[in-house]
Amino acid sequence: MRPFKFTQAADAGSAVQAVSFNAGAKFIAGGSNLLDLMKEGVENPTELVDITRLNLTQIKSAGGGVSIGALAKNTDTANHPLIRQDYPLLTQAILAGASAQIRNMATNGGNLLQRTRCSYFYDVAMQCNKREPGTGCAAIGGINRNHAIFGASDKCIAVNPSDMSVALAALDAVVKVRGADGKERSIPFTDFHRLPGDAPEKDNNLQHGELITSIELPKSNFASHSYYLKVRDRASYAFALVSVAAALELSGGKIKQARIAMGGVAHKPWRATEAEKVLIGKAATEENFKAAADAAMKSAKPLEYNKFKIELGKRAIVLALRRATGKA
Amino acid sequence: MASDTKVIGEAISRIDGLLKVTGAANYGMDWPIRNVAYAFIVKSTIAAGTITDIDTAAAEKSPGVIAVITHKNATKVVAYDPMRGIGILQDNKINFYGQNVAVLVAETFEQARAAARSIKVSYQNADSKTDFEKCVAEAVRPANRNDAVRGDFDAAFNAAEHKVDATYSTPIEHHHPMEPHSAIAVWEGDNLTLYSATQVVGGVQRGVATAFGLKPEQVHIISPHVGGGFGSKGGAWTNVILAAMAAKVVNRPVKLAVTRQNMFNSVGLRQQNRQHLRVAATAEGKLSALGHDTTQFTTTTNEFAESCGILATMMYEVPNSRVGYKSAAMNVIAPTFQRGPGESTGSFALESAIDEMAYALKMDPVEFRIKNEPPKDLSNNKPWSSRATVECLKRGAEMIGWKNRKPEPRQNRNGDNLVGYGVASGSYPSRQSPTSTLLKLARKGDDVTASVELAASDIGTGAHTIIAQTAAETLGLPMSKVAVKIGDSALPPAAGSVGSIGAASFCNSVADACNQAKTELQAKTDRKWLIAPTVAQLMDAASLNEYQTRVDAKAPADAAKYSSHAFNANFSEVWVNELTGMVRVHRHVAVTGAGRIMNAKTARSQVIGGCVWGIGMALTEESIMDPRWGNFITRSFADYHIPANLDVGTIDVAFIPEEDQFVNKLGIKGIGEVGIVGVAAAIANAVFNATGKRVRDLPITPDKLL
Ligand SMILES: Cc1cc2nc3c(=O)[nH]c(=O)nc-3n(C[C@H](O)[C@H](O)[C@H](O)COP(=O)(O)OP(=O)(O)OC[C@H]3O[C@@H](n4cnc5c(N)ncnc54)[C@H](O)[C@@H]3O)c2cc1C
Ligand code: SF4
Repeated sequence: MRPFKFTQAADAGSAVQAVSFNAGAKFIAGGSNLLDLMKEGVENPTELVDITRLNLTQIKSAGGGVSIGALAKNTDTANHPLIRQDYPLLTQAILAGASAQIRNMATNGGNLLQRTRCSYFYDVAMQCNKREPGTGCAAIGGINRNHAIFGASDKCIAVNPSDMSVALAALDAVVKVRGADGKERSIPFTDFHRLPGDAPEKDNNLQHGELITSIELPKSNFASHSYYLKVRDRASYAFALVSVAAALELSGGKIKQARIAMGGVAHKPWRATEAEKVLIGKAATEENFKAAADAAMKSAKPLEYNKFKIELGKRAIVLALRRATGKA
Repeated sequence: MASDTKVIGEAISRIDGLLKVTGAANYGMDWPIRNVAYAFIVKSTIAAGTITDIDTAAAEKSPGVIAVITHKNATKVVAYDPMRGIGILQDNKINFYGQNVAVLVAETFEQARAAARSIKVSYQNADSKTDFEKCVAEAVRPANRNDAVRGDFDAAFNAAEHKVDATYSTPIEHHHPMEPHSAIAVWEGDNLTLYSATQVVGGVQRGVATAFGLKPEQVHIISPHVGGGFGSKGGAWTNVILAAMAAKVVNRPVKLAVTRQNMFNSVGLRQQNRQHLRVAATAEGKLSALGHDTTQFTTTTNEFAESCGILATMMYEVPNSRVGYKSAAMNVIAPTFQRGPGESTGSFALESAIDEMAYALKMDPVEFRIKNEPPKDLSNNKPWSSRATVECLKRGAEMIGWKNRKPEPRQNRNGDNLVGYGVASGSYPSRQSPTSTLLKLARKGDDVTASVELAASDIGTGAHTIIAQTAAETLGLPMSKVAVKIGDSALPPAAGSVGSIGAASFCNSVADACNQAKTELQAKTDRKWLIAPTVAQLMDAASLNEYQTRVDAKAPADAAKYSSHAFNANFSEVWVNELTGMVRVHRHVAVTGAGRIMNAKTARSQVIGGCVWGIGMALTEESIMDPRWGNFITRSFADYHIPANLDVGTIDVAFIPEEDQFVNKLGIKGIGEVGIVGVAAAIANAVFNATGKRVRDLPITPDKLL
């Protein structure tokens, strides 16, 4: 096999050092994405730094919100009482992804960094700017049914596959990372992932060697009116065609705050801020939901095979809002 | 003792079950062979053209590599099969994307795979035929298929008042047995042993022998357990030949497993079909014309046509019909048999069109079918050996609660789901094929044990078990006294587990062998009995502690006078989310008339398996080829969607009791193939009843219902 070095990091500092000093090194957490990509020859790290022993698995109350360790398992996160109670949207989103077995292995940090499921990216015989910058994009002009309708570029039209990230975008989470200098910085969730632009090889704004340590959830008033809806080609164990994380704060029959994020539509979890604006101050009615859905899809630019995502996206927003408000 | 020997038909768990759940059953790759090396196949990345150069230098130096085999240095083998045998490294021609171009042999699988990535192949591209839409425009009638004509279809269709004229599409599907194809090849001199799971032991043996210029008996196939096949393990595909070649080249045993990704272009597929259906009926609901024209593709080296129109020739009493085929050659791996080959995809089109006709006539689709029930097989004018379509329809209607169905769509809801019901009937021919059995009896006092030996195969369906049941009951022994030896080419030749012939062929042969043993033993003694003697008494009377006999069984002479088929009816209740278009099969009912059911449990499991795959066919499964290059973009189970647990609602299975005296001595019809026939149509018809949308293009994914 292709030889690589394997290091077990004892603490965050040494993990960050090890990866920072080797351009070919990568962290490995649950391995449920990275190992697949290595077997396919898509990722070819020269060194794996195992971070599963780091003490970053806690889920605890912090500053009115909740702090989730980067190495907490997806299953433990989804089922944690603090999350179930205050952030049911996140629970639903995590449980809508993958399978029980994979969620038992998958970590939160790894989930945020899972790579696109564009099938041309996965097949090393195909041209792909994300895998090999400058080779071209086989999906443009190819079968792009699963690809982006927002924010794509002429270099890459892939979508981010994470369900968890869609909920985190809606909940205004903050990602805490630690760099080679030992300092921590905070990245607002909506700035964490990137649009492809001219550098589709970069999925996110992490520097090489930066370690995600935790995800911070601010205090939320959305717990009683939120819903994660995932539309897919089979009932479970499939990535989203379109997904919607909807969260509302209602007050006196009016929508005080609204969050809508979409998955399966862009290179990053897509916040539909236009739709949110339409809802604020309005009553939670079907009519207003439809207006919000129309606003969300206004700037969509479909490709040859994914035109359906516009209508599907609208319907998914309406249904998610209905369910968030207990109307379905 | 009588009760534990009356076992035919009982719901008996598989006798190989314990071996399987404890990991003791050896599949193709599981055999512990000493000093084995591992092979990995490199695939072409063009669909048509020639290899101009292969640079193997880096691979040869890669850690652990023992040999790199390409067309330049491959062992010469004979072209043995135009369907399964393309890609055995005999020349530089490429016929499809993903054709084998090199084999790496290394000390470990990982080393072979890593080295494979460093092989550089240069190609000269030729014009490739990889766009189905363009290719079908040039489709022609296959040489081996004439139209099946009855009456005057054109005149009857043109004159009719009530018609349906619609085209239905089904995509490429892959078999994907749980156990991917593999082989371990071990040479001793000119004798070859291959551990390789197959549905047809003799077929693989013949293919390999031809390829290597050996006598069949020089090739020993060992295949006691098969992790599914569905038609893809019907003979020697290139992986078996390349394993044997690699073992010859490195002069040691070689293991070669096809990776899941490479299952898409290594072992056949079900081709894309476009079916044009024209149905006409009188206002009273009698069919007057039925046309079924199928357009499909085949590979450039072989002509294979799935017989989608075959049901149209015999399911209904229709005086005027015409069934035809057109096929276009494409640079795609060979299409091959896949569960219900022709009938399953054909029934989607036919039974959808029948549903459309019933709807147009405002008739209940169950009644419409019953009204057009044919008194005999009109395709050959033979009487049915038995036909349970009407009973299946009636029983299934009761089981699903057909009375809750509203004739008009969109009348039934549950929350934001639209609820619909659909029906389809189906059929698959029954046949007994030549099969020999060697029966060995051994006696210690009153205790007799039997060994039943035949080169049959068990693809996970329960062949071991029903063979044991047959022998036990015929010999009057408990099943624990019967040993079953199958899946070995050194045993007497047997039919394959294909085309639903397995149960009838194996069990009739085994029963014949057991009866013959009793007759022969009887003839060896003068003793007379008032009540029928046990085998122990017979052997005792003949002073024998050991006895063996062999039969070469075949179908009864009269069987050909009848048209013999298994028949079924499928009913589905679907829930369709009105907004998202996601379809869920909430309940599904399958009722089958398949003659004698040898084992109620394994039969039920077979039908459930057919229903699950039918759900996949209807809703989720599709292999998508990029028409620019001919590569599959659905290369893993993340993209090729087989139904997950949540896609499968409640499945109820029932059998209509049938005693068919004509089909074969034991009255067995077979259930494997028929299990999937009609399932997709019942679901699609239910989706129409729920939504008012007629999806004629499978699979019915959410986007098609917006
Ligand atoms: C069959 C299948 C189906 C799936 N379906 C879904 C689905 O429907 N929805 C969905 O959302 N997901 C799905 N997934 C993806 C799954 O959620 C991810 O594989 C998982 O979350 C990755 O977590 P991990 O800990 O295993 O990451 P790893 O594979 O260990 O790592 C992934 C990446 O993250 C990096 N990394 C990991 N942790 C850190 C850290 N703390 N700091 C910096 N970098 C880090 C690694 O270097 C690597 O590049 C599916 C996966 C599979 C295999
Ligand atoms: S869409 Fe992006 S990931 Fe997919 S092939 Fe194009 S560049 Fe690669």
